[in-house]
Amino acid sequence: MPLATAVPAPAAGATTRRRTLRFRKGWLLLLAPCALFDAVFFLTPLGRLVASSLHDQAYQRVLQDPLVIRSLVNTLEISALSTLATIVLGYLLAVVIWRRGPLMRVILFALVLLPFWTGVLVKNFAWAVLLQDNGMVNSALQGLGITDHPLALLHNRFAVVVGMVHYLLPYAVFPIFAALAAIDNRLELAARSLGAGELSVFRRVILPLTAPGVSAAGLLVFIISTGFFITPVVLGGPGDMMIANQIGFYALQLTDFAGASALALLLTAMVSVLVAVYQRILRAGGAHEVG
Amino acid sequence: MPRMTEQTTTPMSRRSLLKTGALAAVAAPFAGSLLTACSTKSSDSGPANKTVTVTSYGGSYNDQLTKTILTPFQKKTGIRPTLLANTSLAALKTQVQSGDVQWDLVELTAPEYVQAVSEGLLEKFDYNIISDTGLPSYAKADYGIKYLSFLFVMAWDQTHIPDAQAPTNWAQFFDQSRYATKRSVYGQLSDSSILEAARLAEGIPFDRIYPLDVDAALRYLAQHPGRDKLIYHTANQEPIQQLTSGEVALSTSFNNRINAARKDGAKLNFSSSNGVLAGDYFVVPKGARNKEAAFRLMDFMSNDADAGADFDQTTNLTLANTAALAKLPAAVADSLPTSPKLAGSILVRDDAWWAKNLKATEQTFKLWQAAS
Repeated sequence: MPLATAVPAPAAGATTRRRTLRFRKGWLLLLAPCALFDAVFFLTPLGRLVASSLHDQAYQRVLQDPLVIRSLVNTLEISALSTLATIVLGYLLAVVIWRRGPLMRVILFALVLLPFWTGVLVKNFAWAVLLQDNGMVNSALQGLGITDHPLALLHNRFAVVVGMVHYLLPYAVFPIFAALAAIDNRLELAARSLGAGELSVFRRVILPLTAPGVSAAGLLVFIISTGFFITPVVLGGPGDMMIANQIGFYALQLTDFAGASALALLLTAMVSVLVAVYQRILRAGGAHEVG
Repeated sequence: MPRMTEQTTTPMSRRSLLKTGALAAVAAPFAGSLLTACSTKSSDSGPANKTVTVTSYGGSYNDQLTKTILTPFQKKTGIRPTLLANTSLAALKTQVQSGDVQWDLVELTAPEYVQAVSEGLLEKFDYNIISDTGLPSYAKADYGIKYLSFLFVMAWDQTHIPDAQAPTNWAQFFDQSRYATKRSVYGQLSDSSILEAARLAEGIPFDRIYPLDVDAALRYLAQHPGRDKLIYHTANQEPIQQLTSGEVALSTSFNNRINAARKDGAKLNFSSSNGVLAGDYFVVPKGARNKEAAFRLMDFMSNDADAGADFDQTTNLTLANTAALAKLPAAVADSLPTSPKLAGSILVRDDAWWAKNLKATEQTFKLWQAAS
């Protein structure tokens, strides 16, 4: 897409072309610091990871480990579930913020940002205290007579998803809010003047216009989800181990660095494939919309 | 890195800056090795053996180690110790393999010690610097000293389980009809003995626990108390928090951790009877900068009677230091993990069996945990 905007219109004169050309060079120059940073701090370690994974039949070994398969499946399930919950809650929150006046917006944004600035460990331990058998949530449920015995809320998948959604929410709210804020107010007025009800306006105007924001948020949230390490440890049970925990187990407890490298690269490959598929589906969906 | 800032401060045309950028991008993959080379070199600067970096497991134990051993050692020798809380074989291995060794004296569990020796990661101990007169025979090894002995024990929250109703053996500990609570157990096996505890609960005598029947132990745990009644901790301070917060009423732990929590006013207790005696090593990573200082610290730890007695008394753990034992009041001496009075009622962990079977058993145990 950026390429399409950079290509000069065929009718443009020689001066425009030269300016565009110079601009192209500037482009490269602006990319240089990022490329350099990536080369030193991303590509070099990645290269070492690849080299280290090629020892001792690491791929063969880890793929035969039933725990690895289990944690790969867990990673996909937990990430999909967290992403879905985060997007739904994030959308609601973004709409509420968007509909409020400037003062209320500032207050609500502060409430979204506050947990964003709190460490993930602090948030997770707070949830552990809330969700344990004699924690506040269970005490409240029992006090209200909703249940007579403590519900199993901690050390299971439910707790992991709760902890992850809490962490991920700001990553969904901001892109969705940005999409909402970009909507021209007059579109909504036009829709209403043509007789659209509240639901129609949302379904046929707001939702399609925020779709790119939602899909960007979904992608971001999903990718972050696949890398969670501490939340499954603190809030999950042993059956909720994700791939990052498995990498930790290989590296720290088994001191099998080749296996850990192979796992890390498998995760990278898996996420890359998913992202590619996701974007293809989106593009196909977008083309359909336009047609 | 400083060279780059110099370049950017000199005025330069856009073209040449672009060239430099491209050059840097091409050179970047090698920058990583350049950085490593620099950091290895810089760690050689400064006088060696004036300091010594020690790593252990952290929490209350590190405070006790500092007060009883490291501070008196610094007073006596002038060598300044730094104590870190993040000891791990994985980190030791990374440091030795990258040639950038930051640690001088590293605490390892017994099976980890055997693995580190077999992978050639350790310096040979120099018993010309370390006097072995104070070392018990079990403690002296070629590449380390099994400096510490501790007890793996059952612990309880006294507010939920009064001492009179507390478990005295592992069958009671795992009995769900006796205690309707969850139990917190150590999730790894390198220095915890939950599988041995399950076998003891089945009534297997101490002398027939090894070779350990892992499958039988896991079958027992699946029934008593059942997988859903077990939660797992990953750090030694975690069960203290879980017990005091009321999340569980029973947990496995180590005798010193419960003692330290009791001194801080926690209403916890433990039973030495049916505990499992195990030990940790101090080792020196191959290529450690302050090897001699580390050996001198080991010499002090193994032979200074006052510091050793203070350590034993403060921690309720046994330091491998015979002179210290003679200085202890009888009550303290009898409560130590290695006390002859306990010998008949505890299991001694078989380090050789674990060294051979640790990795496979860790994986079996993890898989069993996840299968719930």
